[in-house]
Amino acid sequence: MSRIRYFARETWTNIRRNLTLTFAAILTVAVGVMLVGMGLMAGYASGNALDRWEGGVQFEVFLNPQIDPSQIDALGIELQNHPEIDRIEFFSSEEAYALVSQQMADQPELLAQVSPEALPASYRVVPRSVESELIESLAAQFRQRPGVMSVQTGREEVDAIRTWFTSFQGIVLLLSIVLSGASVMLIFNSIRVAMFARRREIEVMKLVGATNSFIRFPFMLEGMLHGLIGGIIGAIAAGALRGHVEGLFSRSEILAFFRSFVVTSSQFTTVVIITVIAGVVVGILGSAFAASRFLDV
Amino acid sequence: MPAGASWLLNLKARMIRFDNVTKIYKGETRAVNAVTLNIEKGEFVFLVGPSGSGKSTMLRLMTCEEKVTDGNIHVAGKDLSKLTSWRVPYLRRNIGSVFQDFKLLPNKTVYQNVAFALEVIGRPENVIRTQVPAILELVGLEDKHRRFPDELSGGEQQRVSVARAFVNRPLILLADEPTGNLDPDTSEELTSLLDRINRTGTTVVMATHDQAIVNRMRRRVVALRHGELVRDEQRGAYGGETGPAEAAATGPAEAAASQPADGDNP
Ligand SMILES: Nc1ncnc2c1ncn2[C@@H]1O[C@H](COP(=O)(O)OP(=O)(O)OP(=O)(O)O)[C@@H](O)[C@H]1O
Ligand SMILES: [Mg+2]
Repeated sequence: MSRIRYFARETWTNIRRNLTLTFAAILTVAVGVMLVGMGLMAGYASGNALDRWEGGVQFEVFLNPQIDPSQIDALGIELQNHPEIDRIEFFSSEEAYALVSQQMADQPELLAQVSPEALPASYRVVPRSVESELIESLAAQFRQRPGVMSVQTGREEVDAIRTWFTSFQGIVLLLSIVLSGASVMLIFNSIRVAMFARRREIEVMKLVGATNSFIRFPFMLEGMLHGLIGGIIGAIAAGALRGHVEGLFSRSEILAFFRSFVVTSSQFTTVVIITVIAGVVVGILGSAFAASRFLDV
Repeated sequence: MPAGASWLLNLKARMIRFDNVTKIYKGETRAVNAVTLNIEKGEFVFLVGPSGSGKSTMLRLMTCEEKVTDGNIHVAGKDLSKLTSWRVPYLRRNIGSVFQDFKLLPNKTVYQNVAFALEVIGRPENVIRTQVPAILELVGLEDKHRRFPDELSGGEQQRVSVARAFVNRPLILLADEPTGNLDPDTSEELTSLLDRINRTGTTVVMATHDQAIVNRMRRRVVALRHGELVRDEQRGAYGGETGPAEAAATGPAEAAASQPADGDNP
């Protein structure tokens, strides 16, 4: 009991004694940890989105505008009867034009330069399998057919998005490493100041035979507390960011594309746990360094 | 085997033992040079010698604040060379230390300063509540326990520091020039307090420059010079160590032989 009261009292005096340093340390931890959370969430979100796309993947066979109507039907039958293909859907040039004019509604001068005949008709094909290897070979088969202008699979887009997210994550990870390093140093510094302020007490404690771990404990606790508070603030900030971004995606038409970039609540729980733990680890590291530097016998 | 038994008894009674101890600081200063010294349980020993002769170093070696360069030290039955660093605090719980500058915590009251020493070695609260008032009564400060150090005279501050050193009832009390900042009368008072503590069976080693006290007390005197032990007398005086080396003519062997061990006070 007396021990618990002692540690509580010492830690509280330490924190009160250098509030500005404590504040700076906690804030840096919070920002660093928030970045960790952002990186994790970006990873989860892109993973989720890509899973969904790859699951419902299709490819599109564009037809030569000069193609014979009988050839169109023949190709349709061949696609329909292919064992690897689930179902198909035909889009005429007019339908394609309707889609484009809908997308370009606010750019009429651009739309004016597009004529319905210039747009190719196409078959949208949904394969039975979602394996991208198989889809690629299927696409390759039909690319050779007469009357086919081109075949587009979603693979390039998926790959491009994946690359984009990977580099985004890389940058965030790098930033969070830098900030975590800075937080370790700031906590180290604030604990060092706390130790300096209490050097007399430490000297007496060593004199009367307090163990090293007893002397260290309040400082370690303080550093851990910095990290924990910073971690919690960072997690809250990451949560707020998540809500804000998802709100933005669902409200904005321009960002509608990103609507599938969501983090499930169980994934978010994992993110919160990891960010808080990261904060605590940073706190323990900073104070452990300070203790080993300045508290040895 | 009676001889073996007495040897064993001797070993048990021996509180501090220096075997050919040498301490060289940073490869340069030879602060303690080949000192061999035995201090039995319950002895009161004055450590004298000119400034820089190695008195403080001897005391710091006993508390493991410094490591020997060569030789061996036993304190309270422990071989210090075999003591791992995590055991050092437990050794220090058997040794009380008092210094010239008191080392009191200015933001704590007299009571809190003394209680702190028990608190930080994890003594339970009920022990603290009974031990601290008892020790404050022993040093005669029971009615000043609420004062802060800067509200006390130097002598009173030093008594607080003695109380802190002794509150855990250590086997050994080391005092490094405890009267260095005190006037003669206060020094007398403090020394008689250390004497009373010694009579409870605590071994006391006091490094001092205070001639009057050493001469009045007539206790064992160990004299150092340039880190060497030059005199060891059972009822010694503050000798001529500051003079030529011949003043130490009464060698340690001769002095020790002419006096019975642990002379009882008249
Ligand atoms: N930490 C240290 N590093 C290097 N040299 C030291 C250190 N401490 C003491 N010395 C040297 O060791 C020698 C003995 O010092 P010590 O403090 O033991 O003497 P002392 O007898 O206590 O002196 P005084 O009576 O002035 O207190 C001196 O020459 C001193 O300069
Ligand atoms: Mg000294």
